[in-house]
Amino acid sequence: MRGVIRIFQEATPEDRKKYYTREWKPEKIPAFIRENIHLREFGFDHTGQGPNDRYRFFRDEKLLKKFLRYRAPYAAYSSVALYDKPWKREGWISSELVFDVDAKDIPVRPCGCDNVCEECLDQAKEIVAMIIDTLRDDLGLQEIHVVYSGRGYHIRVLDPTILRLDSEVRGQILRYVMGGDVPRLLYTGLDGRMRSLDHFMAPLGYPRVFTERSRYIILHLSGDEKIEDITRQTMNKIMEYRDLIESDKWGEFKGVIGPRVYDRLIGSVAKLNLQLVDAKVTVDLKRILRLPSSLHSKVSMICTYVKDLESFDPLEDAVPDFVKEGS
Amino acid sequence: MAMVSTVFINPFSQEAKELVKASGDLDRIMEEDARLLNIIEYTRGQRLDDDSRIPGSLWEFAIKRIEWYLEKKGYQRYQPGYYRFLFNPQIAEFDVITFYVLAQAIGAKFNPNSRESRIFMESEAEIVKERLLRIESRERERVISKILREMLDSETPHWTQLEKLLENRRIKLTELILKDGEVILDKSATGRTQQVINAIREKIIPALIVQETQEYLYKVHEMAAKIEPHPILTRLAEKIRERISREFFIPKKTGARTIKASKLDFDAFPPCIKNTIKGVRAGNRNDAIVLLLTGFLSYARLYPSVFKDRKPHKVSDFDPTLNITLNEILPMIYEAADNCEPPLFQDDPQEKLNITAKLGFGLHETPSLENEGETKWYTPMSCEKIKIHLPVVCKPDSLCEKIQNPLTYYNRKRWQKKRKNEGGDKDIPRGNTRR
Repeated sequence: MRGVIRIFQEATPEDRKKYYTREWKPEKIPAFIRENIHLREFGFDHTGQGPNDRYRFFRDEKLLKKFLRYRAPYAAYSSVALYDKPWKREGWISSELVFDVDAKDIPVRPCGCDNVCEECLDQAKEIVAMIIDTLRDDLGLQEIHVVYSGRGYHIRVLDPTILRLDSEVRGQILRYVMGGDVPRLLYTGLDGRMRSLDHFMAPLGYPRVFTERSRYIILHLSGDEKIEDITRQTMNKIMEYRDLIESDKWGEFKGVIGPRVYDRLIGSVAKLNLQLVDAKVTVDLKRILRLPSSLHSKVSMICTYVKDLESFDPLEDAVPDFVKEGS
Repeated sequence: MAMVSTVFINPFSQEAKELVKASGDLDRIMEEDARLLNIIEYTRGQRLDDDSRIPGSLWEFAIKRIEWYLEKKGYQRYQPGYYRFLFNPQIAEFDVITFYVLAQAIGAKFNPNSRESRIFMESEAEIVKERLLRIESRERERVISKILREMLDSETPHWTQLEKLLENRRIKLTELILKDGEVILDKSATGRTQQVINAIREKIIPALIVQETQEYLYKVHEMAAKIEPHPILTRLAEKIRERISREFFIPKKTGARTIKASKLDFDAFPPCIKNTIKGVRAGNRNDAIVLLLTGFLSYARLYPSVFKDRKPHKVSDFDPTLNITLNEILPMIYEAADNCEPPLFQDDPQEKLNITAKLGFGLHETPSLENEGETKWYTPMSCEKIKIHLPVVCKPDSLCEKIQNPLTYYNRKRWQKKRKNEGGDKDIPRGNTRR
């Protein structure tokens, strides 16, 4: 553990004031927000009770700066959508596609901490990297931005092909990217009979994504989780034989735990896969997200635009000066 | 085996459109056509013992096309021998003209979301599926490749080209094989992988054609608002409506249904519905009332067996005067809307229109029979969707683990209560039950 004393502790109103007057600069807001600030709805939380001050609109960065300096909010948010009339949330133009990975909500956390810690933040980063790979390699998407949210990461996709997709299609992208459906690989054999393939026998496209996500879940189980349809006895067996999955011997693993139990397991794993992100955020076209550059007061960290995911270290790169000074 | 023209499967190919353009005299569609009769007579396996079941004209062909689907769905009376001609590739030219006659009649007279339009689209999907199945496998692959190029310009289209299919849930993204943004639908793979891709190819063709059909119906419908449709199309639409209504007629004293409609039983409501009725806070409020509660209460009260029967009924099939809808169902929905924080209609008065729309009566303040069919009567959200969109109301109990839809919960719970009270009844309500 590093010698950081105040990280993950709540910021005081004085800390917030200090942050927004001394440290925060409009240039810290990523360009993809700055260039259309006047088309976004802003929301603020002034008390720590949630973003109740909504429908806010700023014609330019200067006015936003004035507001933040004066009010030093507990939290600041901006919409993923662009509107003709953001102050009324009317005239929808487009919405980014978002994946929200919150370290504290990852369903399989070997660290077992109560809130967030270095280990589960690393885990969140790993999940983000997997999601980005699928968005690029399978869906062929570009313009993918990552923001450290304070307790996890936001993946914000601005590829022009997805900006106007409706909620239903976003839900389908979510299921694909996260491995939310058990693949049904049916085909007609040469003898004319209907047959099916297991997901791990087709190492391409969605079946591969599903296999990867399921692998991640199974290998990160602590063994104490309660999984729907899985008994304690089965869980013990999974833990005993999961090395087979690590070396990609899925067929053998299925054989050991039994095909019927395997089907049940894989059905439950699909549900856990989906819980690696907050699904509601992805399907919501009018969501407001924490404003990159703003302060996450609950944990005293900066919501930070991530230039390079691999080298990004939240405990170095997202710590405000008032925390560093106090440590 | 002779080559099959794609016109037989795809009414939207250039060739099909040209054929229809060249044929076009609507006044003559009621005339008997010797060529058509000849093809039917020489179709292998075609039953010819009842003249009334043999279409002699395009008008009759159009009705038979719909009738085939209704009978096939109805099972008991379905006699496939009378419909063999539908699967004879030689009939392609007549069939494609009939398709457009039907689409224009239905599109002009009915809303694209109406039951008539939906049955027409479903019948088209079923015809395409069955025709494809009956073509010899190598020829089928050739036809599919050609249709994919006709409709998507490629056998490896970008997945966003399938946006409408995904939006309308005609296909799932997770059923496709994607690479670098392209959907792999070509023949470049080998072994079992190619066989899996072949199955996707077969599935996507009917989905594409139904999507195009829906878009065509919208175009015709818009056009009909500006230009009076040909009287023969109006007559045909009326005939189709009568034929479909016959299929959906519910005799008053029917006792056949396993799960009967009856007064709502609050105790049997699932936790998500009870929580919604108590009132939901802004954020989840609109979806909970409009998407979840409206579908749930209306189906629970009028058509609880929807997932078992799977017939696209209208509200008025069960509530012909809309008395129950206006005096029982809507007041409950409105009361729940008032319990929300802040009250739903205070913030969003237009949500009243959305509630009416979800009941199948279009975007109007209150439901009325003249607007029925402008929109679809939406079934309640599935548990899976509730978990994603409305986690705040989803507080599952032990029964929830066994079901996939709140309506199934309601039916199951009512059955359990009935069995407890009477100690009888062996009809276990199924439908949307987990394996």
